[in-house]
Amino acid sequence: MSTNMKNTTEQQISGQSIQLLEAARKCGAIHADAIAICDTGDSISIRNGMVESVEREDAQGIGLRAFVETPKGLAFATASTSDISESGLNKLAEQVIAMARISEPDPDAVPPVGADHPSAEEMQAWADKHDHTDCGWDLEQAKDAALQCEDIARNYSDLISNSEGADASFGGSRVAYASSDGFVAEYAKASASLSVSVIAGTGEQMQRDYAWHRAFNAADLHSPQQIAEEAASRACKRLNPRSMASGEATVIFEPRIASSMLGHLIGAINGRSVLQQRSFLADSLDQKIFPDFINIEDNPNHPDGLGNRLFDGEGTRCSRNQIITDGKLNTFLADRYVAKRLGMQPTGSASRGLTGDIGIGSSNLIWQPGTKTQAEMISAIGNGVLITELIGFGVNGVTGDYSRGAGGFLIENGMISHPVQGITIAGNLKDMFANIEMIGSDLTWFGSSAMPSIAISGMTIAGE
Amino acid sequence: MPTPLIHPTPDSELPIAIETLQSVLSHMLPAQADDGDLYIEHGVSESLALEEGRVKHVSASTHQGMGARVIKGESAGHAYTDRFDHAALMQAGKSARAIAESSQSIAPVSIHQGENRPRALYQAMNPADGVDFMLRKLLLEELDALARKLDPRVVQVFANVSSSFSNIHIIRMDGRHIQDARPLVRLNISVVVEQNGKRETGSAGGGGRFSLTRLTEGDEAKRLVHEAVRLALLNLDAHDTPAGNMPVVLGPGWPGILLHEAIGHGLEGDFNRKGSSVFSDKMGQRIAAKGITVVDDGTIPERRGSLTVDDEGTTTNRTVLIEDGILTGYLMDRQNARLMGMKATGNGRRESYAHPVLPRMTNTFMLAGHDDPNDIISSLDRGIYAVNFGGGQVDITSGKFVFTTSEAYYVENGKIQYPVKGATLIGSGHEVLQKVSMIGSDLQLDPGVGTCGKGGQSVPVGVGLPTIRIDELTVGGTEA
Repeated sequence: MSTNMKNTTEQQISGQSIQLLEAARKCGAIHADAIAICDTGDSISIRNGMVESVEREDAQGIGLRAFVETPKGLAFATASTSDISESGLNKLAEQVIAMARISEPDPDAVPPVGADHPSAEEMQAWADKHDHTDCGWDLEQAKDAALQCEDIARNYSDLISNSEGADASFGGSRVAYASSDGFVAEYAKASASLSVSVIAGTGEQMQRDYAWHRAFNAADLHSPQQIAEEAASRACKRLNPRSMASGEATVIFEPRIASSMLGHLIGAINGRSVLQQRSFLADSLDQKIFPDFINIEDNPNHPDGLGNRLFDGEGTRCSRNQIITDGKLNTFLADRYVAKRLGMQPTGSASRGLTGDIGIGSSNLIWQPGTKTQAEMISAIGNGVLITELIGFGVNGVTGDYSRGAGGFLIENGMISHPVQGITIAGNLKDMFANIEMIGSDLTWFGSSAMPSIAISGMTIAGE
Repeated sequence: MPTPLIHPTPDSELPIAIETLQSVLSHMLPAQADDGDLYIEHGVSESLALEEGRVKHVSASTHQGMGARVIKGESAGHAYTDRFDHAALMQAGKSARAIAESSQSIAPVSIHQGENRPRALYQAMNPADGVDFMLRKLLLEELDALARKLDPRVVQVFANVSSSFSNIHIIRMDGRHIQDARPLVRLNISVVVEQNGKRETGSAGGGGRFSLTRLTEGDEAKRLVHEAVRLALLNLDAHDTPAGNMPVVLGPGWPGILLHEAIGHGLEGDFNRKGSSVFSDKMGQRIAAKGITVVDDGTIPERRGSLTVDDEGTTTNRTVLIEDGILTGYLMDRQNARLMGMKATGNGRRESYAHPVLPRMTNTFMLAGHDDPNDIISSLDRGIYAVNFGGGQVDITSGKFVFTTSEAYYVENGKIQYPVKGATLIGSGHEVLQKVSMIGSDLQLDPGVGTCGKGGQSVPVGVGLPTIRIDELTVGGTEA
């Protein structure tokens, strides 16, 4: 199968992939697939009204996975290079074949042949709708947005004492995938982003916060004013924090913090982690792991998501995946190998870089919102903590044990009372999932995930 | 410990014609530039990974490119390209120049080798040379078998051996050409154990800037397997960790991550120049208890965090950050040093040619004190003794830092009672070292596993610590 792109002059990098597959075949590969990328981007940072840095990237690379027949079965290896000259590609092919020959065959290995590929018509329709190479900014426009954003943030309040600067960036990437069963596809993406970080207070009382937004088109970005006011108001509200008493409490995660729960869920239902017995949800398929009112989906074609894709890293067609319905875990995420091992269908979740093992990843993750505003949630829980910051990596994916540094606001009698900092929150993810009491109506997008506020009871706080 | 070797100065060929580089440099640098350089890198890396008893993943990568920088006052222009054709290189120089206002350029320079080149701290040789793929595969299979033999509760073994070798060329604005050739190896073992349906994991690793033979020959690799299995089994019996404020004793070596998070980042030059660190304006003031001396030392031969020269070509140093409790030093790259009227300390680092330079740590550790480590543990009436950690993180502005235990014990009446589950410890960087009341005589450096993230860039680092007692730290357990 193959497809014709709108503009043949832009199709050059799938040619590289095809050339590399041919080199691999000549070196003795039985099956192979190749991925080529080409990224260009610009960014500008403004601090205290002056240009702090201007950066420009011009990256290219190509990766090969090749399978060879060994006396013990089919074995493979992967390698990549940023040298895409003919000699660079030939060297890469020779290197991968030599490495594959010493690799240990896996009887369940799935070569890149016969995946459920999208059709040429589907690819053309997708390209017509989604492909774009220009997000609508040049360096001057990006500079103006960053200048404006930083200026508004610095002048938001007398409490703002310093700036860590505003960044505006834009760029595009082109990716080509080709496999030895004749599937060839290429797509282009572009996006722009704007962020700012400012400091409120002075000396040992300083507090910093930030805000950012990314969109396919610069015109769809949140305004510099919205981003500036979000960052500056957050920094000011954090001033003069206290600790709090240790004990059990209900916590509300605001959307930006709650989105980490999606990450923990996806890590635990990664089919590879399940196979390796490295997941606390390895035995939870078809079980209720959340309360009835929780629904989560992986949606590869959503108008607001930056993670849209037609096919995954093995060329498998992606489709909408209801991961959690009414609190029940419906599926693990699988590439073709994991699917074979777990006796399931691939979920279009293969994610790959230029080299190394194929990983498992989602497209756009959407946690369906509830009906309560965050203020109604605060009022409903009465006493607890609104968490607006988490730091550290204290999450054990094998056991689900959870312990992280946190900051936010104490909730007393249904109202925010004062900022808190220097506390930890701890529990176990299995219990935390089951103990979700409420979800907010404030669904917020963060690139390729969308999350509302959530309230979790029974967390242990360590403070004073 | 590695035997000290006299390493020859690296001398690899520039992958781009000198005339081309001279042309890029002179077109790129405006007359009023304070600094600027070209950074040319050619690197190779290889990795073998074993799981389910098989070496299933063999991978390699080759990366090459050039980064171009122009510095003027507080502004920096940075561009990079993966292409070595004339047009791409000239375009990178032109993009880096975007911060310049005038059209006048510097006088043409001629590229020349610098004099008084520093003694290399590691061998300019691909660390995988002489250890072919088959030998590495056999090593991983042997380690897998050993782990399973050590205890029948071991149900999964993951072993990974990786190596990389980078040839670096830095060409300064005066034409001075400085080279480095950096080997790096790492071996990691991770196991999953199961008992009565309960699973736990343990891992151990080691490495440095030396030949892979150091890991394939001798007992170091086997020791790591014993350690990973021991940690996993220990965690099967771990109790809930108490929650709240209590005294904490940190064991020697890797717990030095405390220093990295609590004070190291806060002493990096960029944050202090901009006034965004809680340590800004504290130079000469007491930030730690008497008796505490902390250094950042990039000059220890063959260590993971060491560099012969940093990524701006500055020879690395041993920088005293805290001396007897008083703040005495910041970590400096050239731009921040110039702006603060200080000296570059050899801490200007970048992950690769594709990343801008930032002031970063190398090997950061506390010097030994005089207390007997056993006395320090038995000084605890009720507290935590933590010997192994996962990762950590810091907010340099508020000073709040965290690090998470992976091997810790509950101590009562001076006696270790039982292991406790992984928990996050949280404190304030500007306070925690003032609460250190005992310093052990047993300084150790970590086994060569640290990676530090800042501004989206990862670089290898080292840490070290003697056993210390901290009188008060918040322990994030589940038992309130």
